[in-house]
Amino acid sequence: MNLTPEQMEQGRRNFLKALAGTPALAALGVSAALRGPVRGGPVRVGFIGVGSQGRSLLGNVDPSYADVRVLADINPNSLKAADAVLAKAGRPPAKHYADWREMLQKEDVEAVVMAPPLWAHADIAVGCLDAGKHVLCEKMMAWDVASCERMRAAARRNNKVLEIAYQRLSSPMYQAAYDGIFKTGALGDVFHVRLAWHRNGTWRRKGDPPAPDYNPSQWGYPDWDHLLNWRLYWKYSQGLMAELCSHQINAANWFLGSAPEAVIASGGLYRFPEGNRETYDHVYATFDYPGGRTATFSSIESNAFDDYYEMYMGTKATLILAREQDAMLFEEGSAANRSTTIEVAPRTSGPAAQSSETMSGNTRQGAAAATPAAGAPVTSDVSVRVQGSRIMIQRFCSAVRVGTPLSCGVDKAFDSARACIRANEAVKQKTRLTI
Amino acid sequence: MTSLQRVTLVVLRTLIGWHFLYEGYTKLLQPAWGRAGAPVAPWSSAAYLKAATGPFADTFHALGSSSWIGTIDLAVAIALVAIGLSLILGVFTQTGCVGALGLLTLFYLSAIPMGLPEARSEGTYLLVNKNLIEAAAVLTLMTFRTGRIAGLDSLWVARRRTVPISSEMTA
Repeated sequence: MNLTPEQMEQGRRNFLKALAGTPALAALGVSAALRGPVRGGPVRVGFIGVGSQGRSLLGNVDPSYADVRVLADINPNSLKAADAVLAKAGRPPAKHYADWREMLQKEDVEAVVMAPPLWAHADIAVGCLDAGKHVLCEKMMAWDVASCERMRAAARRNNKVLEIAYQRLSSPMYQAAYDGIFKTGALGDVFHVRLAWHRNGTWRRKGDPPAPDYNPSQWGYPDWDHLLNWRLYWKYSQGLMAELCSHQINAANWFLGSAPEAVIASGGLYRFPEGNRETYDHVYATFDYPGGRTATFSSIESNAFDDYYEMYMGTKATLILAREQDAMLFEEGSAANRSTTIEVAPRTSGPAAQSSETMSGNTRQGAAAATPAAGAPVTSDVSVRVQGSRIMIQRFCSAVRVGTPLSCGVDKAFDSARACIRANEAVKQKTRLTI
Repeated sequence: MTSLQRVTLVVLRTLIGWHFLYEGYTKLLQPAWGRAGAPVAPWSSAAYLKAATGPFADTFHALGSSSWIGTIDLAVAIALVAIGLSLILGVFTQTGCVGALGLLTLFYLSAIPMGLPEARSEGTYLLVNKNLIEAAAVLTLMTFRTGRIAGLDSLWVARRRTVPISSEMTA
């Protein structure tokens, strides 16, 4: 999927034109308004795991919704960096803990926002829920299906809110695309969805330990590299399927109103087999949905030309949601006008926000992408992309305080996690698996 | 007085009472959230007082900047609730009316409308605004002693009346 700047501009105009006819989002319910306000201040929140993704969430906390009082992380450097995030937002410093259990015992928090490595999701989330805390857990839900089941059961058992952080489901751009384009039938019948997340670089991070003698073995990591680069080891991670695919599958499930029933997949560690990396650097999966609909996903770490996007190919039109900040619509027929020659479109923006998937040095495009082109509206792109996370945390707090609906919720998160976990199993077993 | 006249007076008192009660209730509830899922913007009389105009502006400004603004906020909220309950239930109605008159007079004096559109106002007023009209309505309620028409005050009055009669009867 590469379009010339002119084609992209036309696609954006088409998208906005198609949206123009749809009514504004439903106003708040009359019954809700008539019942009057309820007493309560910002939700008292503790953060567990303030690595790059945890800090990205931390930076998107609206202080009128949540009061961040305490941070827990086994890496003192991450805590220091989180303090800087709070200071930058003009928020008071939070208390620090290394052990999340100690934090729960000593601090009076109502809710926990957690973004530790994937393998720790279930234990921490269940521990927090059993301690009577509401939980917003970074995606993917958990390392395996049994852990997802445990988390869901803990939320039900304790009657607490459990949300999984998929910011696309809170993004105004996605909401507009769903309400204004997809749901209205403007795309016709959609039989195929293409999901792509292509990057060019190793996923391996470089960073110094907090102290020369820092030893994370008590936390389950044999050395500093296993903690820093947990994404590269199967024990802690489900690789690209969890970190990237689950975002896009979760959004596709929302749009298609269903979840995949089967998957065939392939992949391997082809480009970066150096060191002791385990998780794949190339994965390809085909997900079968009910009704003859199919989504394909590819994530490669050897070429970033395609960047990342979801493309809904309908019988009447194509909807492209690119890089969480660009929406384009192309009617069938007008597609015939598209250039058939290969034309290299200059990239218009670099990574819009720091997060685990897009941090430079983490992996990602080459130098060309890191420098925004002159005149590119990067500032507005940042706000579009970040809005989803901010709204997601707001909705989580509202669900805690007044019981309003969540953006994603456990069941949808469960569906996308199961699909991605099964996709990795399909790669390993070299077979088609039901989900 | 006809029964329709009595009913309309009591309806007027109830409406004004609700106006005061709900205003005070939401202030006492703070911090609070709307049921639709957003926090209610925090309230303090400080901003209102600091923006006061008119002959007593300086006094209001000083109050708005004083260190006991929190106490003023609480006092205003409690007064609003007490007045509201008084007018709705018709209990100590005359005292409630005096309190309502006092607060409305303060509200009026802190921002006497000078005939120009104002950002904080939903209309354009010259000297007469809704605060002044509400104050006049409260004065009317007070004059007609509406607590005796309907409300807990009427029970009190009835008891005072019945006691001597019954004592006469026993005598």
